[in-house]
Amino acid sequence: MAQARTSSPSVDAEPARIGSGARVRGRIHGEGDLVVEGQVEGDLAIRGELTVAEGASVTSGAIEARSVTIAGALEGDVAATGTVRLVAGSRVRGNLRGSSVAIDDGARFSGRLDCEFDLPPELGGTSPRGEVRGRTAARR
Amino acid sequence: MAANVSIIGRTTRIRGRVTGDVDLEVQGFVEGEIAMGGDVTIDTQGMVSAAVRGRRVVVRGAVKGDLHGEEAVVLEDGARVVGDVRSPRIAIASGALVRGFLETGESLGAPAKASRAQQPAARPVAAPVRVAPAPARAAAPPLPAAKPVEKVAQAVLPAGSNNNVSAAPAPRRPPPPVVPALKRAKGQIAKKKER
Amino acid sequence: MASTVIGAGITVDGEITTDEDVVVAGTVRGKLTAKEGVTIEHGATVEADVAGASLTVAGSLTGNVTASERVDLQSGARVIGNVKAARVTIADGAQFKGNVDMDI
Repeated sequence: MAQARTSSPSVDAEPARIGSGARVRGRIHGEGDLVVEGQVEGDLAIRGELTVAEGASVTSGAIEARSVTIAGALEGDVAATGTVRLVAGSRVRGNLRGSSVAIDDGARFSGRLDCEFDLPPELGGTSPRGEVRGRTAARR
Repeated sequence: MAANVSIIGRTTRIRGRVTGDVDLEVQGFVEGEIAMGGDVTIDTQGMVSAAVRGRRVVVRGAVKGDLHGEEAVVLEDGARVVGDVRSPRIAIASGALVRGFLETGESLGAPAKASRAQQPAARPVAAPVRVAPAPARAAAPPLPAAKPVEKVAQAVLPAGSNNNVSAAPAPRRPPPPVVPALKRAKGQIAKKKER
Repeated sequence: MASTVIGAGITVDGEITTDEDVVVAGTVRGKLTAKEGVTIEHGATVEADVAGASLTVAGSLTGNVTASERVDLQSGARVIGNVKAARVTIADGAQFKGNVDMDI
């Protein structure tokens, strides 16, 4: 099985990058940030930030990262401890979980969003109106 | 004399159906159904336990129910939605919280099917399947080009790749990195080619 | 003061309760209970029992009306139902059919 591992970055280290001409099949896991500009087929487990650049494509069963920014194409389930963001032009299919999920106008998306929060009691939840538990959904 | 925008005030509670071909603003509580031909705005204090249909549906409050925008659905900071969301365009601010199924457009289609189309038996995990030679797998663009022009992501093929088979009709150009702070990585690439 | 406006073009089938003023220019079928004033504008259609502090009707109302203060039927109003209020005025040109009870 092909595997790739990113090294722990020093303070000024640049993120690991899968260039636009590259294709990777297999599981990628690592400590730092990862920028995907090429094509990746496989699970991603990143401790840092994952960026799927415009023109890139990721096809995966499971994607885990601290935060995820998608400008390209992604198919798979995303779990972030922090933010998941789909920018305009992105095309994403899969389920997204994160402490916050942002989808820009112009992003194309099909899948579930599962943020943790309660509706106010008038709507059947348990939290008072105005209180929100934005707990992170992804656990490692 | 009545305002063009109808307003369900903050202390108003409606149990039933609210319909019409005009705009509606909800600052109070609605339980039942909202189906408007105009724009529907659920204000920060609005609470809706109902399916909501409108041309543009903007939510700043709490909704338990499915949202359907003929034109767009916008969830702003502070929105809390439990329900499915369907609209040609969906925008969700980072401060909005959602639990449900979302779908933009009529049908998204698979965004990254190119490689799979070439290797139908491929599973993305574990199996060390040999990748097909370069020309075959680059034939189809990773993004369906049949979609309306304005919705197609600009870069169809990764430029600069050595597996260029220009079968795709869409224009090719180098996809600029999205994150402005990105610099070229030198020697930091951590990837493995298939064996 | 903030008010709820059910504009022309809106139809509410159900119950409305509110602590504020209500202006109905559209259609309400069901029940309307307000703590303050209710205005049914010309062109509005209300098929509901209506309760409020005061009620001003210039449109069509079919249902029973209860107002703690007053009910005013203006010219052009068409009201079918019983009216119960401390004060009632029926303007020339208003149509009304029902009982009036001013013994609140």
